[in-house]
This record gives sequence, structure tokens and C-alpha cells, in this order.
Amino acid sequence: MTKRILACFLFVGLGTHALLAQGRRAPPPTGPAPKFADGTPDLSGVWMGGGSNSGDISKGLKPGSEFVMLPWAVERMKGLQSKDDPEANCLPFGVPRGAPYPWRLVQTPSIYFILFEGNIHSFRQIFMDGRKHPEDPDPTWYGHSIGRWEGQTLVVDTVGFNDKFWFDYLGHPHTEQLHTIERYTRTDLGNMSIEVTIEDPGAYAKPFTTVGRARLQPGDELLEYICQENNIDLDHVHGPARLP
Amino acid sequence: MKVNLALSACGALLSVSLPVLAHHAFSAEYDSQRLVEVKGVVTKVEWTNPHAHFYVDVKDESGKVTNWNLELGSPNMLIRNGWKRTSLKAGDEVTVKGSGAKDGANLASASTILFPDGHKLGFLSADDNGPGTSKQ
Repeated sequence: MTKRILACFLFVGLGTHALLAQGRRAPPPTGPAPKFADGTPDLSGVWMGGGSNSGDISKGLKPGSEFVMLPWAVERMKGLQSKDDPEANCLPFGVPRGAPYPWRLVQTPSIYFILFEGNIHSFRQIFMDGRKHPEDPDPTWYGHSIGRWEGQTLVVDTVGFNDKFWFDYLGHPHTEQLHTIERYTRTDLGNMSIEVTIEDPGAYAKPFTTVGRARLQPGDELLEYICQENNIDLDHVHGPARLP
Repeated sequence: MKVNLALSACGALLSVSLPVLAHHAFSAEYDSQRLVEVKGVVTKVEWTNPHAHFYVDVKDESGKVTNWNLELGSPNMLIRNGWKRTSLKAGDEVTVKGSGAKDGANLASASTILFPDGHKLGFLSADDNGPGTSKQ
């Protein structure tokens, strides 16, 4: 029964998804946040969690944030069907929606990579070499990301998104005007806070900021996850978009 | 061999332990109030993404055989919770409890798999069980 009670809490967001998704792993280690020899914060490792509520992005916002959808976006959500969630069709979550699968952050001198186990088995690249965004980027699922350090916080600025992915299981929409600013701070050895400011004047009346966190998965490695392999559920998924 | 469909007050509570790692909304596919019990022989195991599936031949009183499709978590999550790809094999006799598909198909999300020797497997967890990890 303890497990079932625990499971009840799993509806509230990705942070708690991680409780089971992380499996039989040791708890996150304790200690100070590590740094590389040159003083750059070391965010590398396998992590579980994300920067927003993957069930309903409007929940758990940073205090002071207001979630105000434009009328067309409200109308758009009324007709969404669960089977049409891109994620259910083995397409990427986009940003900032997270998955109940671990991801690895890899830091090289000029590019940082986020490697996703799922869903889908894919990657983001964050340019750290000082370049600017292209003037007219082709819209993509993960957009064009450039990063910089503000103290101990990695700030990732992304534009150039397509409008295909959903922010959450409910289907909160966005447009190609979407601009995200992610702030990753390793608060100690085993934990990372993630805040994401979302600006999309095409769908929301004002910017809002989501709050999430990730936990280090000591001893874990990314495993292969090819969603398209046997996605036979879709024929049996019916009804309006809803919480997981 | 039998198939029981039953309502249970604890169904909703039971079901929430299942969907959280699905890559789609659980309640869009399964009815947590439509509890299913399937008893029979495993005919096939698909150790695949996004979900592992196994199939069970169920024989009713008249001798008619129906093949049921039963869903589990993804192989990665099963492994991380103690499963092995050999934990469940074709030919195993099992009694499976789960939540039935809303559309009435012979499909269910498996919550527990009971073996004749008493050990159990779950949608994700192998906590109670495990071939080769008998409590005895």
C-alpha cells in the first residue's frame, strides 16, 4: 500500500515521476557542487527531472509569474485529442517539457550537449563559443541554443522552435515566436535547479517562468530507447488530451 | 482458466501506479475501473519500446482460446526496477491483474503477474519476486 500511496503523488509532475523512473538507484550523493580545474561549474552526469510540470505547464510556476493564454490558444486546447500528442507519436518533447527518462549533460569547450534517453532518443546542442542566433533559423523541435555562464548558473537561450510540440500532456500550445531562457544551477553534488522563462507573444500575453529540478542518478547510464520500435498503443488511445 | 472483469473501489488507486511512466495518457487508453484478471500461458514476450508487451492465451469454459495483449513499462524502466528480459518467458503460466482497455480490446495494462510458485512481477517493479530471487 505504501507504494500505491506513493504512486498517487506521481500525478503532480515530473519531479515525482523520477521517484519510480530512477529505479533502484542509490539516493543522490551529498557534497558541494563540483567544478572543473578552470573553475567552470561541472554539470556533467546523468540526471532525472526537468524544468517544468510535464502534466500541466501552468502549475508550479515561479512565484509572481502569471500564466495568461491568448484567446486562440484557449480555443485550440478544447479540441485536442490525447492520441495527437506528438510525444505519444514518438516525436520529441521539445522545450521545456521533460520525460520520465534520464538525460546526460556533456560539456566540451565550445558545445554542451544534452543527450536524452527518451522520449525521443535524441539530443540538444548548446553553443558556448559566443556565437549569436541566426537571423532566420529554420524552425526545429529543439530550436537553436546558445549558452553563457552567469556565476554558477548556465543560461541557455533558445529560439527557432517549430510550433509542433506540446508543452505538456494537456496540450498547451506555442508558436514559432517561442523564446526560452533556461537557467541550470547545480545547487550541490546531487541536485540541479532548473528555471525556464517562456516568452511567446504569439500564444501568451506575458512571459512566465517555470520551476523544476533534476537529481543526479549515480551509477546509472543512458540506455537505448527507440520509441518507434513498437508503438502499438496509439490505436487504443482515445478521448481528449489529459493528464498522464 | 478464466477472465474476470470486476469493479473495485481501489481500482483508481491501483491504476495510478501504472501510468506515470507511460509515454501517453494512461486514462486515454485504459479504464482503471475495469479491472481484468487473466489466467493462462504466455505465448510471446515483446521486449520493446515504448512499452514491453506480453501475450497470454486464455481458455474459457467452452475451450475457446483468446489471446490477450498485456502492457508493461519500457524495458529500460523494468531493468532499473529489477526486471530481466528473461523474467517472463513464453510458456510461463501466469495470472495477470491489470486495467482493461477502454475500447474493449483484449488488451490491459498489467499491474501484477503471479507465477505458480508464488513470486510476482509488476508493471515496473520486481520487488516482490523475481525468477532466481525467490524469497524461499
